[in-house]
Amino acid sequence: MRRLNPSLVAGGVIVGIIVLMALVSFIWTPYDATFVDPSIRLAKPSWEHWFGTDKFGRDVLSQIMVGSRTTLFVGVVAVGVAAVIGVPLGILAAMVRRWPSEFIMRANDLVLAFPALLLAIMFGAVFGASTLTAMIAIGIASVPSFARVIRSGALQVMRTEYVLAARAAGRQPWPIAVRHVLPNVTSLITVQASVSFAIAVLAEAALSFLGFGTPPPTPSWGRMLQESQEFLFSAPRLAIFPGVAIAIAVLGFNLLGDGLRDRFDPKLEDRR
Amino acid sequence: MKSPFNKLALPTRAVAFAAAAVLAVSACSAGSSTSSGSSPGGDQSLSIGLVAEPASLDFTTTDGAAIPQALLGNVYESLVKQDDSGKIVPSLAKSWTVSPDRKTYTFDLVDNAKFTNDKPFTASDAVFSINRVKSAWTISLKGAMDVVAGAKALSPTQLEVTLSKPSNDWLFRMTTRIGAMFSESGVAKLATDPIGTGPYKFSKWNRGDSIVLERNDGYWGTKPFFHQITLKYFKDPTALNNALLTGTINVIGTVQAPEALSQFTSNDKYQVIEGTTNGEVLLSFNNSRPIFKDIRTRQAIRMAIDHKALLDTCFAGRGKLIGSMVPPTDPWYEDLTSIAPYDLAKAKSMLQASGAAGKTLLLRLPTLPYATSCGQVVKSQLEQAGLKVRIDPQEFPAAWLNTVFKNADYDMSIIAHVEPRDLGAVFNAKYYTRYDDPTLQQYLAAADSGDEAAQVDNMKKAARRLSEQAAGDWLFLLPNLIVADKNIKGLPQNAITENFDLSKLAR
Repeated sequence: MRRLNPSLVAGGVIVGIIVLMALVSFIWTPYDATFVDPSIRLAKPSWEHWFGTDKFGRDVLSQIMVGSRTTLFVGVVAVGVAAVIGVPLGILAAMVRRWPSEFIMRANDLVLAFPALLLAIMFGAVFGASTLTAMIAIGIASVPSFARVIRSGALQVMRTEYVLAARAAGRQPWPIAVRHVLPNVTSLITVQASVSFAIAVLAEAALSFLGFGTPPPTPSWGRMLQESQEFLFSAPRLAIFPGVAIAIAVLGFNLLGDGLRDRFDPKLEDRR
Repeated sequence: MKSPFNKLALPTRAVAFAAAAVLAVSACSAGSSTSSGSSPGGDQSLSIGLVAEPASLDFTTTDGAAIPQALLGNVYESLVKQDDSGKIVPSLAKSWTVSPDRKTYTFDLVDNAKFTNDKPFTASDAVFSINRVKSAWTISLKGAMDVVAGAKALSPTQLEVTLSKPSNDWLFRMTTRIGAMFSESGVAKLATDPIGTGPYKFSKWNRGDSIVLERNDGYWGTKPFFHQITLKYFKDPTALNNALLTGTINVIGTVQAPEALSQFTSNDKYQVIEGTTNGEVLLSFNNSRPIFKDIRTRQAIRMAIDHKALLDTCFAGRGKLIGSMVPPTDPWYEDLTSIAPYDLAKAKSMLQASGAAGKTLLLRLPTLPYATSCGQVVKSQLEQAGLKVRIDPQEFPAAWLNTVFKNADYDMSIIAHVEPRDLGAVFNAKYYTRYDDPTLQQYLAAADSGDEAAQVDNMKKAARRLSEQAAGDWLFLLPNLIVADKNIKGLPQNAITENFDLSKLAR
């Protein structure tokens, strides 16, 4: 019987809590996250407002809860964009002849060499700051990592006997890719998705912090951090709560990614 | 009495002289703390942090307050200017007389001013500059020169300007960008290479970062202290504060994060100046939109906003509630905040009555710190009254100027109007507020043509009319909040002109 993987469990629990918090925020938050109440601005944590209120008198806990939606939404779409483009590219690069494969991978290197945050800032400057542009930019920046990982996995699959048999039997490349290669790189996709999710969470927070992400008044952890700058000395809790939320979310997705990798690769686990 | 040098051996003396000479030379070249040349500041420099970078350096064709803030009075000069109390005083014109019918102005000009392209400033340049406002300027404020019937040079140092009708406003407008004097041979590249007669000359513009001005050593008047002044632009208000704390800049020209002001007030290294400005932060309505045709909707919006709470929330309570488009430094100022007091219940019922309740308004906000903050409060308060508000951030200046200011594609917006005495300019059918009110125009015309008492009386009526008609909502008046290194002198207490006067700054 397999040992319980602590990374997988910890990551799963953290991600589960975040997902649950986001789902609950659709039906319930302690207060309206965008409701401005100047009479209670900068209130300290209390029974009424567990995390206190910000400079607009908005409940910080409610904002953290609704902000988790933004975080997850950006993560899902960005990883989706990266996977939808990166996985076929990776499989294609593994299956085609030498020079088209080289072309695909060098193009990947080109995108990889471009700083992801800079790409996202450029998108924000050209198309306007919004959650959508942030998601697409982060997604595009994550394509090369998907393509690289999937290509290496697909190359291994392409050398297996059943693929060789399928090719010898005259099967076309497309059915081979869908029937044999894709199912065998699913574990790699899952692990890479989890790792990319953590990167996307961090990137969205950074972009919102810089003013190129989710515009106000939609709650976002990164923008909460940005708005807290004025109060770093007088009300540091305004930076601590979203900062901790971001750190926990990134940790959760990274642990989940590590755990999944160990789970799908028993040899790696045995070496520990 | 023996000199102390006599005690030194010859080689030691030589070394001492050499060291003194090296120190003297290096002190002249470093210039951080010594004087040299014809100005008390030697080659000392200063860096000032500001918020909104100009979209161009040509204020004849590009709207926006950032260009005159940087260039007017510093690179360009006008015939007359305002002093710190708002009084009109000589500049390039030494003196002037007004004919009994108040239609002819005769200016005696200084005879030693010259442009930074080495051309002398004469009455012909003044005629060229005045005529050019009508022929080549495209900004909305150019209308202030429409009243001029003609301008002619009586001699190289004497200028006569004839108005088509008496105007109280015209001479005042000549203190603003409208009155800037240009050289006929210096207007080819206004957007990138401004040429004026001012105490500073344009040096370079690092787009997205800074504008560098250098002392005009050929300046006709009192030469400024600093050899070089850099105007550094920051989009983020906290970054602006941090730049002063780290010594990147010496002055914060306009504090945009007032909540963090305590870090400067409690530090002996800095001085904090708090005064007043002309900057009315306006929640503008697009009065051409059907929803704003009903006065009840406009009034309800004004009554739905708790202005005191808004000021506390988005500008740390600094600034002043005004209730109309007149700052306290204007002679016709009245506190009109009582015209639309905060009354949520009444606002709700008025919105129900006008049929606006439940409708969605598009609030297009420039990406300026105060607008972003105030916009969130306005949205929340209007939604409590029964409206729906969708916030759409517009990059400032380019996107906001194009979408809101030029094309009036908006329902509501928030921006500070910092031009002096701008009531008539902001509220007319051609401006982005699209406010067409013949009664208001009658008051403004009577104020312009009447005597001083009539001007004050009619401007008061105009301000009251605007407030009663709820042509917009005046959220508050921006304070003049400056933070600077303790040893910087000459910073203005109040910012009541279009320009940031750099010529008075010293260390």
